[in-house]
Amino acid sequence: MSSLLELEELNVWFDLPRGGTLHAVQGVSLTLDRGERLGLVGESGSGKSTTVLGLLGLLPPTATLSGRVLLNGVDILAGGEETVRPHRWVDLAIVFQGAMNALNPVQTVSSQIVEALELHGLATGRQAKARVGELLESVGIPRDRGDRFPHEFSGGMRQRAAIAMALACNPSVLVADEPTTALDVMVQAQILELLDALCRDFGLALLLVTHDLPVVAQLCDRAGVMYAGEIVEQGPVEELFHDPRHPYTRLLFAATPDLYGEGVPVSIPGTPPRLDRTLAGCPFQTRCDRSFSRCKDERPLLREVAAGRSAACHLNDVPAEVA
Amino acid sequence: MRGADYVIKRVAFAVITVFIALVLNFALFRLAPGSAVTNLSRVPHATPETKHAIAKQFGLDKSKGEQFVIYLKQLARGNLGISFENSQPVSKNLRTALSNTLPMVGLGTLFAIVFGTLTGVIAAWRRGTTTEHVTIATALGFYAMPTHWLALMLVIIFAGVFPSGGMVDDFLIDPTWFQHLKDVLYHMTLPASTLALVLYGEYTLIVRSAMLETLGEDYILTARAKGLKPRAIVRKHALRNALLPITTLIAISLGYIVAGSILVETVFSWPGIGRAVYQAVLQRDYPMLQGAFLVLVLSVVFFNLVADLLYFKLDPRIAE
Amino acid sequence: MSLLLQEPGLLAGDRPARSRTGLLWDVIKNQPSATIGAVILGIFIVLAVLAPVIAPYGLHEQVGPVYGHPSWAHPLGLDDGGIDMVTLLMWGARISLVVGFAATFVSMVIGGTVGLASGYFGGRTDTVLMRITDYFLAIPDVPLMIVVAAIWGPSLFHIIVVIGVLLWTGTARVVRAQVMSVRERAYVKRARSLGAGNLRIILRHVLPQIAPILIASTVLTIAVAIFDETALAFLGLGDPSRISLGKVIENAFQRTAISSGAWWAIVPPGAAVALLILSCSMIGRAMEDALNPRLRVSHLSAKGFRLRPLVGRGRDAV
Repeated sequence: MSSLLELEELNVWFDLPRGGTLHAVQGVSLTLDRGERLGLVGESGSGKSTTVLGLLGLLPPTATLSGRVLLNGVDILAGGEETVRPHRWVDLAIVFQGAMNALNPVQTVSSQIVEALELHGLATGRQAKARVGELLESVGIPRDRGDRFPHEFSGGMRQRAAIAMALACNPSVLVADEPTTALDVMVQAQILELLDALCRDFGLALLLVTHDLPVVAQLCDRAGVMYAGEIVEQGPVEELFHDPRHPYTRLLFAATPDLYGEGVPVSIPGTPPRLDRTLAGCPFQTRCDRSFSRCKDERPLLREVAAGRSAACHLNDVPAEVA
Repeated sequence: MRGADYVIKRVAFAVITVFIALVLNFALFRLAPGSAVTNLSRVPHATPETKHAIAKQFGLDKSKGEQFVIYLKQLARGNLGISFENSQPVSKNLRTALSNTLPMVGLGTLFAIVFGTLTGVIAAWRRGTTTEHVTIATALGFYAMPTHWLALMLVIIFAGVFPSGGMVDDFLIDPTWFQHLKDVLYHMTLPASTLALVLYGEYTLIVRSAMLETLGEDYILTARAKGLKPRAIVRKHALRNALLPITTLIAISLGYIVAGSILVETVFSWPGIGRAVYQAVLQRDYPMLQGAFLVLVLSVVFFNLVADLLYFKLDPRIAE
Repeated sequence: MSLLLQEPGLLAGDRPARSRTGLLWDVIKNQPSATIGAVILGIFIVLAVLAPVIAPYGLHEQVGPVYGHPSWAHPLGLDDGGIDMVTLLMWGARISLVVGFAATFVSMVIGGTVGLASGYFGGRTDTVLMRITDYFLAIPDVPLMIVVAAIWGPSLFHIIVVIGVLLWTGTARVVRAQVMSVRERAYVKRARSLGAGNLRIILRHVLPQIAPILIASTVLTIAVAIFDETALAFLGLGDPSRISLGKVIENAFQRTAISSGAWWAIVPPGAAVALLILSCSMIGRAMEDALNPRLRVSHLSAKGFRLRPLVGRGRDAV
């Protein structure tokens, strides 16, 4: 059975203003099945947002892509913008970061949702307005508020409206790029619950991008950990937490402050590597607390380390020797 | 009413600016040393009675403070004194002049806005391509040309094709309404074109800047993610939002339009406000100069206010 | 998320090092438009400064007939007094540049001071000064310049003062914004808490930080000042005892150059002014761009992203 969405060796390069390229996404592969929830975690600059933007074809002209994006087995990236665009919103919808003004400030909220409906031929006129009302209510916004402008909404409500708009065309995949970042803690919780409920009720697959581990823990079944443009570990969230197979994953979880726990959050020293030049060896090697000689010269490949789990670390190859 | 305070604030600002302009006008012309400038009654070729009447009207023998009040009173009545040059009431001269200027400047500005917007959008749209560089270079080129020089260049280039002076053909006897219109438009072509070209350069740059700013906004990405085609995005989202900074910046160009019209009318002997200023300077016709200056300032303040209100209408975010 | 679409160079952490006072030089070196502008401006300045020495003929020396045609001896022809145009241009550039720079200096001093005071002291000072600036802005420049020049009398000094006193508003605003942001920086607050006096802080910390934007604004003002001088001269308000480029154009206009077919009396001086304004604009704009880089990439443009066939795996993909 083919997955709903499959990324195969997605690469993104950005042209640098002074010449040369930045290899922002390096051979990312992942799969998403119907109704499944996958989290994509990593620090800023790890390439997670660029990955999801890339799969939707929403990158600027300075970007070069390669790889395949298979939607129900069909590569929608093959023809560039022209083959991706028909699938936007009707199959793959995206919700952006809460702090952004993702909604046009000079148009009412409902008119923007209507635009989506009319564009994809789902409804017009009065029907459309009725549908908008339904959508708004499903996210907890009173119907009549739709005729207001975005700046009249609070941050949380704007985010809900964005979610309502994303659901307008009944997509099968909802991509959420840092949906709760820059929102109040209370509001964050509400939005997460909303996403949880909506995905369940509408059978949506969720691709959640975030740097916030607790969010992934709450919402997602599986997660991919990204570092320096590539996925360094993938697997069910529980197992990633209890039994990480990549030092970065382990340190990432350790670095997350635990309100009631005893542990002191340990930050990871150093900075991520530059992506404008090719590296030898493992990209995490300079910051890793368990690196050894092989890590400097040979780049670890993403390999299956257990059922449904993969990691890119030499430590998984070496038996007990350097544990 | 939404944003009532905003509207009130802008109107108040306009009113105060007008008042400042009036004070300035009075101060410059009546407080200057010597009576060459200040003596409004020094109308050459006027009878002693007329001169005396003017002196009384404007209270030229009273204190400066009282003179200011009288000045305001006379202004309210539309009395701006008598022109030294043609012994006609200044207000009458100005009215004619203004009615000549507005169509010419209006036409030029309109063309500049339309074409400037077009090229500005294209330049932003095709960022990084040769088209953009050429467009910007051309716009900068026209922007850098001194208005009066460009006017003279057009005269040289189009000598014989378009008339290079005046508003009407003096030899056209008893023209029909239509013939007269054609005649005026024919004469208007070069001056309006000069203004249009100079402004076009500035507007291209302004619009490009505003569009680039807008195209970097998040809701543009959302529109793209929704599946809208690029042209539709520009039309429905980008342009509409870019209108906001464009309105502001065009309002800022009003001063430039005024300067331009003075120079253009001088070169083409177009009988408008700009030329009135030039003639007044040349002939030391101080009452006319004072009146023309006032009209120009008032126009700018007025159009600025219009722009403010337009902005208010366009941007739903202005409520406080 | 728009943060992620910053110019990728910034992501990789390679912000170009830039010394505070070296920005002007940096920009001129690296931006082609600024380089061209600087070269043109430089040539004019050199020609203008050396005019008395290298001008081919005398400024008042009649070397041929009225509106003599361009020839090998006189590449730009002669004006209505039989004077060589090239000579006229060189001398004219002197005055135009002097007025441009001097007036700009005046406006820079006024604008800089107002912006500094407004931004640094804030509060009432700021409100009052900004109000004044707003009203200054609301009154159109050129008519006021014309009136003042007409009443006060045409002289170089008057022209310089008149232009300078009306052009400072742009600089004031820009400086104020910059000062406000500098004021909040850590090292300024630290200096304050250590008891450093205002003057000291301004001189040592604020001034160096606002220098680049002040220079950019100044360069752009020079362009406007030169234009204004040309306009005033054209309307007969220039200093009658000096020749500026604007005066050369005015002379040609007044003395029927066009009907005599003497295009060389009009085209070169205006072209010279246009080049001066253009070069200053290019330098100024390039500096402004360097100081306020457009961090956000346009989300939309005619070209889309590019697609490449996949070669290699993972990091080694090409």
